[in-house]
Amino acid sequence: MRLLVSWLRDFVEVTASAEEIAGGLDLRGFEVAAIEPLGDGDAVIDVEVTANRPDCLSVVGLAREVATLYDRPITLPSSEDGAKIQLKPITTGMSDRLSVTIADDELCPRYAAAVAEATGVKSPAWMTARLQAAGVRPISAIVDITNYVLLELGHPTHAFDLEKLAGAEIRVRRASPGEAITTLDGINRTLDADMLVIADRDRPQAVAGVMGGARAEVSPTTRIVAFESAYFKPASVRRTSKRLGLKTEASSRFERGADCNVPAIALQRIGALMDRIGAGRIVGPLIDVYPRRREPARIHMRRVRLATLLGATVPDREVERILRTLGLAVDAAADGWDASPPTFRVDLLREVDLIEEVGRHFGFDKLPATFPVVTAPAAAPDPRISRDQLVRRVMTAAGLSEAVTFGFIEAHAAEPFAAAGSDRPIGIANPLSAKFDTLRPSLIPGLLDAVAHNRRHGADDVGLFEVGTRFSGHGETRAVGVAWTGSTAAVHWSDSPRAIDFFDVKGIVERVCGALGVMPRFEPCHEAFLVPGQAARIVAASANGSAPILGVMGRITADLADARGLPQQDQLFVAELNLDAMWRARIETTEAVRPLPRHPFVVRDLSIVVADTLPAEIIRGTIQAAGEKAPAPLAGITFFDRYHGKGIPDGAVSVSVRMTFQAADRTLTDAEAQASVDTILASLVREHAAVQR
Amino acid sequence: MTDILPSSDSVRQLVAQFDAELAQAKSTRDRQTVRDRFLGRKSGVVAAWMQMIATAPPDQKKQIGRWANELKKAIEEIWLGYQQAEAVVVGLQGIDVTLPGRAPRLGHRHPLTLVRDRLEEIFTRMGFAVVEGPEVEDEWHCFDALNMPAEHPARDMQDTLYLASPIPGDSPADHRTLLRTHTSSMQIRYMQAHAPPIRIVVPGRVYRRDDLDLTHSPAFGQIEGLAVGEGLSLADLKGTLLAFARQMFSPTVRVRFRPSFFPYTEPSAEIDLSCWQCEGAGCAMCKKTGWIEIGGCGMVHPAVFEAVGYDAERNTGFAWGIGIERIAILRYQVEDIRLFYENDLRFLEQFPY
Ligand SMILES: [Zn+2]
Repeated sequence: MRLLVSWLRDFVEVTASAEEIAGGLDLRGFEVAAIEPLGDGDAVIDVEVTANRPDCLSVVGLAREVATLYDRPITLPSSEDGAKIQLKPITTGMSDRLSVTIADDELCPRYAAAVAEATGVKSPAWMTARLQAAGVRPISAIVDITNYVLLELGHPTHAFDLEKLAGAEIRVRRASPGEAITTLDGINRTLDADMLVIADRDRPQAVAGVMGGARAEVSPTTRIVAFESAYFKPASVRRTSKRLGLKTEASSRFERGADCNVPAIALQRIGALMDRIGAGRIVGPLIDVYPRRREPARIHMRRVRLATLLGATVPDREVERILRTLGLAVDAAADGWDASPPTFRVDLLREVDLIEEVGRHFGFDKLPATFPVVTAPAAAPDPRISRDQLVRRVMTAAGLSEAVTFGFIEAHAAEPFAAAGSDRPIGIANPLSAKFDTLRPSLIPGLLDAVAHNRRHGADDVGLFEVGTRFSGHGETRAVGVAWTGSTAAVHWSDSPRAIDFFDVKGIVERVCGALGVMPRFEPCHEAFLVPGQAARIVAASANGSAPILGVMGRITADLADARGLPQQDQLFVAELNLDAMWRARIETTEAVRPLPRHPFVVRDLSIVVADTLPAEIIRGTIQAAGEKAPAPLAGITFFDRYHGKGIPDGAVSVSVRMTFQAADRTLTDAEAQASVDTILASLVREHAAVQR
Repeated sequence: MTDILPSSDSVRQLVAQFDAELAQAKSTRDRQTVRDRFLGRKSGVVAAWMQMIATAPPDQKKQIGRWANELKKAIEEIWLGYQQAEAVVVGLQGIDVTLPGRAPRLGHRHPLTLVRDRLEEIFTRMGFAVVEGPEVEDEWHCFDALNMPAEHPARDMQDTLYLASPIPGDSPADHRTLLRTHTSSMQIRYMQAHAPPIRIVVPGRVYRRDDLDLTHSPAFGQIEGLAVGEGLSLADLKGTLLAFARQMFSPTVRVRFRPSFFPYTEPSAEIDLSCWQCEGAGCAMCKKTGWIEIGGCGMVHPAVFEAVGYDAERNTGFAWGIGIERIAILRYQVEDIRLFYENDLRFLEQFPY
């Protein structure tokens, strides 16, 4: 709303400057976007009006705020002689030149109209200057007057060329399905049965509260004008405006709520302005179809409630002054007040709304800053918070930096990560761009783009992780994703670093599992986005035998890397773990520490040659099982070498295992340890045809 | 050499000689030998001159003493310099301690995480529990229960991202699912599950139908606060946010409430903080206004209490929503919001581990 300060001063006499007024409005809830100085001390204040205050899309509405702010009286439009904002007294009655009927008084509770003879003069300079300052283009005297009243009183009116209304009648009715109208903007629009129209005997001449029709548009040659000043149901105007894709000054006011008690006043103001600028004159009565007069509501406000909610005591006199200047009728009651908000204050519906008005004009800056008394211990925090923090700590300790990417990605980036059935990625119904049209099924696509960004900017070693939400047909899950390429360490003078491989990422996965108390198992798997043979599914080894899937890891395929703009030669390894699944799969252990062993351990190394297709996990299992039958308790198994090549037959591999034996109750003898190694070796020979080296 | 007699010329000559011989010495031992010939307690020149003082005629004692001390001081000074240089050289013969160390790799946390953690820490100290809620919401929790009925403009397809297919949840079949536009939906979920008094903060991501540019993002972080109990007031809200602002930004920050409108709070206000960079005088950070807006707040609307079945007469409450990016932009003076989502290591590595 562009508020012209000199126009405001017609309504309220304040000595304050435009800047001061703007500052005051800003602190009363009307954000000031700009102050534009005009000549001779005048200025336009560009005020943002919140959705709940359609009454302030007008000079008079903002004048009430300024009057309350400066404790000044407000000058309202009046039909008394010499009034500053003059109204023309017009008697109400039936007209023989225009008949008005309301067929749907739910969508149109009130329709007022007046007939005028127009002279065809142009608007005077003072009027066009005001309109232009407020951002409205002058058109013709009749249209300018309706715009002037719109800006001044906030009420949209409309002018028809009465001679073009068939039957000299106005019927406020719903459109019949498929009925069409060409609106003032020249566009032919098809209407539906839920839309309200202003029709003459034969056809719609305006879309009610939205826009007039081209057929009965007034022009400089129009001789007889029918002015409309009505009230339309907000929801109906909003729906029609949205359905037609047509937003106007009128529709934006009606859809937020106009004042159903101002239509007659608006016509009287039009009458006075017609007289003043010589644009013609109202002839005949003011036609006013208003079957059920809307009375202002009565709201009770308690003194104690006011003080409780604000945390401060506002003097009674101040409470009454504020409410009265804002236009409310106020009566004192035993424990507070009874107040009637005027019908233009569509936002004042209950006690708390009045409390806000008092607080707003009392000044939020006068409220003390108190700290609320704690009456109960803090509730338990969401366990996900500390879980995710722990995961972040593990990740940064592993050398990975944290990324934040968007929850939505482009459809084809999601494609390789989509499984069949209900795990299809979820699309967004109304995306703003194709780049963000699908909810991410995985954190990996976003991380790939982040790695690509860094590679493009010259970083060789890029290790990133993200903790975030993923979406599928089953709902949303929290996950941690990892993407890592380059070297294990920064360039150093002492040696050359090694390239990241599968086991670097696997090590991180194991660390996270360890931190969350999950026992992971790694199984070879196939994923569209991972290189075959370098992909693993991570499942939880749980006590009850179920093996929930925790995530996947592996090396990104060259095709996908290429598609995301990564250099061809890059070896990019990724992992993704479902933190919610991990949380469920965690094994609760005691916090009590284990006593330290009191007897020494014995270490034995064993090198065997086995088929190179034999998974290490199987070898470990065999050793573990055999160890249980051995005389010396087996306390640990470590693979410390794996060797292909000279001296080892093709298709075989040499595996070196270090076994630690330790008993809780005695010192082991060499003989016991040796017997155990023999037992284990025998098992390996028997089950895997292992040959000792 | 001990036969050189003291004189001002010989002092100069001996000092120059000492310097030259030290420079020529090839090893630590050689330098030690040179040093001993000059400073040795028994056979050194300095010692010889010192002895001469005792045997000299009384009228020359004073002059010889002066030359002897002059020589001693000059020689010792040169020797000290060599010793210091030697220390470095000796070091080189072990390892060069000035070569770069092998730093273990440490990753950096994202600035938005740092801000979020700090926010959680501050509010936890004030007795607020940190909870999270779903990012995919239904219309009832996101709008209806928050006093935004079906016709409310904020529910427009213009501003809200709706899902093409619903995600199963607790929403009735006639409610569309969407990406939450604010963390306020979690107010509803929490109140439905807990009785007052309540003090929670809800950090999380929210989504808007916005283009990504210098100052806007279609997804960003928010931290919601909610306190419900008997007798909570707007002044209490002011005090709570003041305590937060002073811990987050500067101990002298002031809070200003500017009246505003949100359907789920009444009264509603924008939260302004006095600019801590210019102390209110006006600078680039506060756009010359002296104030910085960080979010919105207000007293919980009774309609919201009614939606969750709370006694709106007995309980009052306050709530706020603050943008996490907004705080990060202010704290780290980031000029382009897109930097947070590009994940450029040159940016990320400027933040602590
Ligand atoms: Zn400043």
